[in-house]
Amino acid sequence: MVLLNVDGIECSYGSRKVIDDVTLSVKPGDFVGILGPNGSGKTTLLKSISRLLKPHKGTILLDKENIYSLESIQVAKKLAVVPQDTSIGFSFNSLDIVLMGRNPHVSRFQMENKNDLAITKRVMLLTNTWQFANRPINELSGGEKQRVIIARALAQEPKLLLLDEPLTHLDIINQLEIMDLVKKLSVDEKIIILAVFHDLNLAARYCNSAVLLKNGKIFSAGTLSEVLTSKNIKKVFNVDAIVQKHLVTNSIFVIPLSPQKTPQYKKCSLHLISGAGTGTRLMKFLADEGYRLTAGVLNVLDTDYETTRILDIPVVAEAPFSPIMEKTRKKNLEMMIKASAVVIASVPFGYGNLQNLKTARKALDKQIPVYIIEEIPIERRDFTNGKAKELLIEMKRNGAIFVRDQHELLTLLHISDKKLKISQENGKRMFTHLEPKRYDEKNESGRIGKKNEP
Amino acid sequence: MATNEVETNFFKRASKWKFIIIILLFALFLTLLLSLNVGYARIPFAEILSIIGKQFPFLDKIIDPSIISQTSPGIILQVRMPRIVAGALVGAALAASGVVYQGVFKNPMADSYLLGVSAGAAVGASISILFASGMPIFGFRLVQVAAFFGALIAMLLVYSISRVGSRVPITTLLLCGIAVNFFLYAIVALIEVLAGDELTNIVFWLIGGFSNVLWFDIFSVMPIILVGITLSYFYARDLNLLALGEENAQHLGVNVERVKKVLLILASLVTASAVSICGLIGFVGLMVPHITRLVIGPDHRILFPASAIVGAIFLVICDSVARVIATPFASTLELPVGIITMLTGAPFFILLFKKKKESYAL
Repeated sequence: MVLLNVDGIECSYGSRKVIDDVTLSVKPGDFVGILGPNGSGKTTLLKSISRLLKPHKGTILLDKENIYSLESIQVAKKLAVVPQDTSIGFSFNSLDIVLMGRNPHVSRFQMENKNDLAITKRVMLLTNTWQFANRPINELSGGEKQRVIIARALAQEPKLLLLDEPLTHLDIINQLEIMDLVKKLSVDEKIIILAVFHDLNLAARYCNSAVLLKNGKIFSAGTLSEVLTSKNIKKVFNVDAIVQKHLVTNSIFVIPLSPQKTPQYKKCSLHLISGAGTGTRLMKFLADEGYRLTAGVLNVLDTDYETTRILDIPVVAEAPFSPIMEKTRKKNLEMMIKASAVVIASVPFGYGNLQNLKTARKALDKQIPVYIIEEIPIERRDFTNGKAKELLIEMKRNGAIFVRDQHELLTLLHISDKKLKISQENGKRMFTHLEPKRYDEKNESGRIGKKNEP
Repeated sequence: MATNEVETNFFKRASKWKFIIIILLFALFLTLLLSLNVGYARIPFAEILSIIGKQFPFLDKIIDPSIISQTSPGIILQVRMPRIVAGALVGAALAASGVVYQGVFKNPMADSYLLGVSAGAAVGASISILFASGMPIFGFRLVQVAAFFGALIAMLLVYSISRVGSRVPITTLLLCGIAVNFFLYAIVALIEVLAGDELTNIVFWLIGGFSNVLWFDIFSVMPIILVGITLSYFYARDLNLLALGEENAQHLGVNVERVKKVLLILASLVTASAVSICGLIGFVGLMVPHITRLVIGPDHRILFPASAIVGAIFLVICDSVARVIATPFASTLELPVGIITMLTGAPFFILLFKKKKESYAL
């Protein structure tokens, strides 16, 4: 059984340490994704395993032999590399290129024989490249060329295949075809596969384990569900991401949200009423702007609930698929009163969450400003025989502010925030906001939400 | 359908290559014979063949000596033959080392003079012409010895400047080669300014030609050239792999640094030997590999030997032209062969390139 053991290696470019104490052990059938941001040492790690950059500390054993004490031809019989991009000096045809993969097996004074051709043909059929065997490699498309390069690597009959971002220049169908092929090699032929990926989702879909690098060190290693967590992604890539199991492919998939800005923290905090995913975008948007958020009541397992977990937002939660109980309703009201304002997203209202609207009205009665986003008219999302609409109208009468979308909301909040600062500086504790700017006042809304005008 | 075609092509490949080599060798033989016929004195083919036949131990019995005139053996064997053999040898040497340089450097502009070989030889030769043109060293002419060692010293200089640790990166090698070339050519220019009466000799040497070549010169460099070309041929497959880039070649089992070192040293030795007997003949090392590649493809296992033979044929023809082209105007005037190689080769290359540039990716 061929094993790859990387033991405590350290690599440097000049005085800059690029790989720092990396230890790995990989066995046949493993398909390992090497992940990490730019400059984390992914490619360098691959280079040192492929014998291009000798680590100044530690050892790399392939099949119990130190690869740096073997001749290159010995290593080439066991280890093949598919680089990111190959530029080929002269116009060799595809067959020539794949035959070059037989180089380690053919002695200096011989030509490739029948057996070499048979192996070449087999790998070219496997990679679906045999049909253009006679075409010059430089006339092939990016995907075809990369498949030829993979065929060349396979012609070496390697036990270990290293792929350095093999999909960088390929379209989606080529990416999937090539990854399916590589996966097949790992399962059927028990070739150890180490691949550097930029696309976390491709890695998640095909690898069975992963190594996450940060600043040349292993940040996390293990199965995909151990490595690809939103916490790890946040720490290594500094990106908020939703990590879920995909219903169709049953593999983990990652939805990166936009990179976290370092927001200017605002004085005021907001309490959000949402649900069924209507608040997810809004939460990210407001959090990026620097508002402190709370949310509720949300049912556990609701999309918005998941979002609060990712963004670390305090939430009043109710059990899955349950109506809002008295206890949670009270907690929700307490939370609302602590906030500087309440925001109601364009959430559909049914008897299950009508309670939230009633709580908001109570908050409004206690002088907490309420902003209502009406992206979708209430008539179309009211499933309470008009009760929700009634409540909204009542709140409007009592001074709740209707806005068209999150951008309009933001504009108003900015002004309120400044006012809050001024009032605090003046020693006043009261939160005030501008006179309600209703979006049915055409002359005003034109100024505020210009880019959203049809 | 395509499947069978690919496989038959593969199995036919070895015999196809042999066929190409045989055809080219035959063409070379014809060229040599024809060019023996070219010259001021008219000597018929029958007489030429008889003179050659006379040189072999058993053939001389059956040849009728009556058709051989008194002066002809001297003209054929001591005047025409040496320069034709030298032409073939130098042509093969320059073209073969051109293939090696282009392969190692993965650069179409690389030629056999790249690593300062030409400039070093030029400095050595022009200094020796200036100070002691006739002086022999162990039977060798000083110019020849000086050119050979000038070439090797320049090459070693370029090589050692560009070395980074144990590696010799291609780009640094190219840049150092260019820098050293400029520096050495400045010295040559300086010597030319100071040369006075010897200037013509220096200029003629720099353009290159075979008018003074003797058998002795040929035999003194022939071993280096033939051994160098033969040894380089064993690295033909490594040259193919280097076309994929050094890292890829390394992954496919080529010991890149060692192969590079061996090939560059061999090619430089071969070039230095060639240059030492005939001066700087341009174009052959750059264009013959290109022309051959355009016709037979990039595989160095056939490209390398084929280029060597094509180089030999090309240079012998050019030399024959050089010998006779000026005869109608002045019977003793002879053009330097370097002028002919450039005047004929460049247009031919451009013509071929225009036809095939679509498929000729570099």
